[in-house]
Amino acid sequence: MKVKVNDTELELAPGTSAIDAVFAAGYDVPYFCSQEYMSPIGACRMCLAKVGAPRQDRATGEWILDEETGEPKIFYFPTLMATCTTAIMEGMVIDTLSDEVRGAQNGMVEFTLINHPLDCPVCDKGGACELQDRAYEYGSGLSRFRFDKRHQEKHHALSELITLDRERCIHCKRCVRYFEEVPGDEVLDFIERGGHTYIGTLGEGLPSNFTGNITDICPVGALLDATSRFRGRNWEYDHTRTTGLDDASGSAIIVDARTGRIERIKAALNAEVNKSWIDDGTRFGHEYVDAEDRIKTPLVRKEGELVPVTWEEATGYVKAKLEGIADKELGIVLRADATLEEGVAAKALADHLQTGQLDHCPRPKASVLPEGDAARFTDLATADAIFVIGDVSEEVPAVDLRIKDALKGVSPPASLPHGVPIADLRLKERMPRKAGLLTVAAPYRVDLMRHAGRSVCYPVGGETAFLSALVKLATVEDELSEEEVAALGMPVDEGRALIERLAQAQNAVIVYGSFVLASPAARNAVIALAKAVKAKVMVMGPMANSYGLEAIGVMPSHARYSYQQMIRGGAKALILSGLDPAQDPSVAEALKDLELLVVHHHFANATTALADVVLPAKTGYEKDGTVVNLEGRYLPVRSAPVDGGQSEDFTGLVRYLGEALGVRLDGRSTRSAKRALNHLLAVDLRDLPDEGLLAKAKSRPLRRVSVKEQEAVSGNVLLVPSMVRPEFVSRNPQLRAAFGDVALCLHPDDADQMKLVGGERVRLSVDGTLRKATVRVSETVPQGIMLLPATPEQPVGLVSADLATLVKESSELEVA
Amino acid sequence: MSVLDIAKGMGVTLGHLFKRPVTVRYPEQPVDVKPRFRGRHHLLRHPSGLEKCIGCSLCAAACPAYAIYVEAAENDPDDPVSPGERYASIYEINMLRCIFCGMCEEACPTGAIVLGHEFELADFVYQDFTYGKDDMLVGVMGSKWQRREATQKGRDVRVGLSSGPRPELEGVDY
Repeated sequence: MKVKVNDTELELAPGTSAIDAVFAAGYDVPYFCSQEYMSPIGACRMCLAKVGAPRQDRATGEWILDEETGEPKIFYFPTLMATCTTAIMEGMVIDTLSDEVRGAQNGMVEFTLINHPLDCPVCDKGGACELQDRAYEYGSGLSRFRFDKRHQEKHHALSELITLDRERCIHCKRCVRYFEEVPGDEVLDFIERGGHTYIGTLGEGLPSNFTGNITDICPVGALLDATSRFRGRNWEYDHTRTTGLDDASGSAIIVDARTGRIERIKAALNAEVNKSWIDDGTRFGHEYVDAEDRIKTPLVRKEGELVPVTWEEATGYVKAKLEGIADKELGIVLRADATLEEGVAAKALADHLQTGQLDHCPRPKASVLPEGDAARFTDLATADAIFVIGDVSEEVPAVDLRIKDALKGVSPPASLPHGVPIADLRLKERMPRKAGLLTVAAPYRVDLMRHAGRSVCYPVGGETAFLSALVKLATVEDELSEEEVAALGMPVDEGRALIERLAQAQNAVIVYGSFVLASPAARNAVIALAKAVKAKVMVMGPMANSYGLEAIGVMPSHARYSYQQMIRGGAKALILSGLDPAQDPSVAEALKDLELLVVHHHFANATTALADVVLPAKTGYEKDGTVVNLEGRYLPVRSAPVDGGQSEDFTGLVRYLGEALGVRLDGRSTRSAKRALNHLLAVDLRDLPDEGLLAKAKSRPLRRVSVKEQEAVSGNVLLVPSMVRPEFVSRNPQLRAAFGDVALCLHPDDADQMKLVGGERVRLSVDGTLRKATVRVSETVPQGIMLLPATPEQPVGLVSADLATLVKESSELEVA
Repeated sequence: MSVLDIAKGMGVTLGHLFKRPVTVRYPEQPVDVKPRFRGRHHLLRHPSGLEKCIGCSLCAAACPAYAIYVEAAENDPDDPVSPGERYASIYEINMLRCIFCGMCEEACPTGAIVLGHEFELADFVYQDFTYGKDDMLVGVMGSKWQRREATQKGRDVRVGLSSGPRPELEGVDY
């Protein structure tokens, strides 16, 4: 459609909003209530413009012409229009520069400011505030309001993580709409009317995993991140755009640091991955980085004590110790959120020392690489049938939001010259959701089931049987046996309906995560199912770079060289990065027999207590490198200016150790690692764009490990994925205050039987490791099973806990 | 040049011999600075005793020499440091960097920071040039060195001014 904005004519697709036409033409119009990816509602009335269009004669279909000029006559709307809710029409004329329009915008700024407290100097939004900017650009600069302003609550804690200043609110309704439209929970709403209107919740707190986003979208300082309250002004922060390493989604984040501390994390826009939303685990889970007790210098054990030394001395010590150790007796293990560059460095080190004992942890028993058609986030958002196995809201929350996009049935908006459309007119408030296209299966009731048309709780630990039964339904006409019906967890007709829905869909996606990956048989079954119904698959690996590390082959050369074997006597020397296996006393005993234990970690823990050398590690916010998210997208990781002392990532460790050994290894720096990766994957990772790069890797993994069929396991504790990483909970006090401690979830009947009540602190030996947790009683948990968050050392799966070791911790003990 | 001209010149000299001298015997005698002279900063308080500074960092943003560092914190409503929610938990000025331009004073939305008349800021160690809140809150007289000398010698702080505080500071004795 042809549209004329001021003096610029441009051609836009029908359905575009007038505000987007204005921005596409390179002009500006102020707005507060419109927001990318949310419905336009015209609440703030700021985007007023003079809008008109030619008219057709109803009888003849001819354009009505201006008698003087002979051109089609422009009929202007009788009043100025809010451009965000106006769709463009053929030949539309939009005027944003006339005195009439400027006067109206000026008046709206004045109206908006009437009840705004103007406490910008003490407001955390100051300097990055849309209202400040717009008042400066479009306001008159003087106030005519000589009366008392509205007074309301200044510091209302909506939750532990978000504070609401009701005086500052300008009623744009972004936060209210956000909760209803994006995570799909109506949590906030307007209360009272007129000047008394304020934002509030019905109950206490904000029950969602995505609450932090409202602090990003609030155009004023009404909703603020409580964790960064008064920590710095916006112009004082160093903003670093990077990729979140909290889960496998590869969500874009902006790390705001000041004087060497991370003060807050904000969501960045990556239209094809996380749009502009991130989960609370990613946003608030950074406090551990600045913990007081971080290890900042290398330490070497001298006469039983760990003594601070230089990197050169530490690596010299490692070199001397390595001389007595034969090839293949050294093990190297990375945490699965290490970058590709660190992976290359570890591989180069392993190759140089001629050892096949190389691994990353947690590495599920089955491959995290998708087989067949891998689904992208956009495939997920446009899917017409989705089958989820697992708990996506905890595992990779970004997937949860993209599934909810699909439920709305609105495809991702096309990009305009100014980026994502500001007002997408296809989006509406309270849109009907197509719940029927979503099926969620999990061993217990998960959050996403509230939004699913069909939800299935299959027996705990029964992924293989459940998926095999579905494969049988999809491929063979035979009736299912009784056992298979039991494994299905739903009536057979329901199962058939699910298969039919997936098979008939144009764009079916099967999403699976750690529960399936815990068993190679279950993974093979889900791949068979995907092939049978011609669905794409999305695999949620356990950590940020599980995909990448497996793809470049940071893997043992033989099954007996796996991490689990290494820490149980398989290796004589170990270099562990970011892991703490010694929490398990039996492993700790085995580690004591090692000739050399090098631990590369941020904090002192059970394993550093046994280590000969402790090397300070960079956190995911301080690294430079590349990760591969669950789509197979290469995403840049950039370092924020955080004071980590002398900490280095694994490339640094390899550089120092290489110098000690007198060799120049690949991956001694991120640059040399990128060169090696270019060679390995035929992908140039230098200067990756912010939105990442989707490229097919040239080679499949160089070393494949044949995985033997695992025996069926039984147990009474199901280790489950969780958004809040349990290993850092104790050092993330504010996140812990909001989401609670590590929770041991029980069915009420089990709790009664074990004489436990919700909120009690307990200690329990789970699979040999002593775990501390707070009891949470919930009907969603199946009877006879307890749920506990998985850690890197204790990955998702069914394990057994010795109930005799269950000890209640009294609250006084906790204080002490 | 004639003898008359020399006599004229000597006359001027002679005339000055009998005038009051303009030189000041500083430091034995205090000096008189002009009313708008900009010297060491003072952090003011409200008559209620609360600090005027709200820790907004606008002075630091305005400072052309990057001499100011502010860290803010939230007031305890029962025992506030300043009115409102926010106060400066750390307020530091590096007097070696400061060029005494007075931009901080202009930027301050609450009039909390004012450049006073004290100018004797010489000291011996770099770190002693970083003035914190304790060194600048109104009521504190003298530079760090002058106060140190006073405690060592057990006498009052002696500053080399006779003009008293800046007009903005006059009458501010809380």
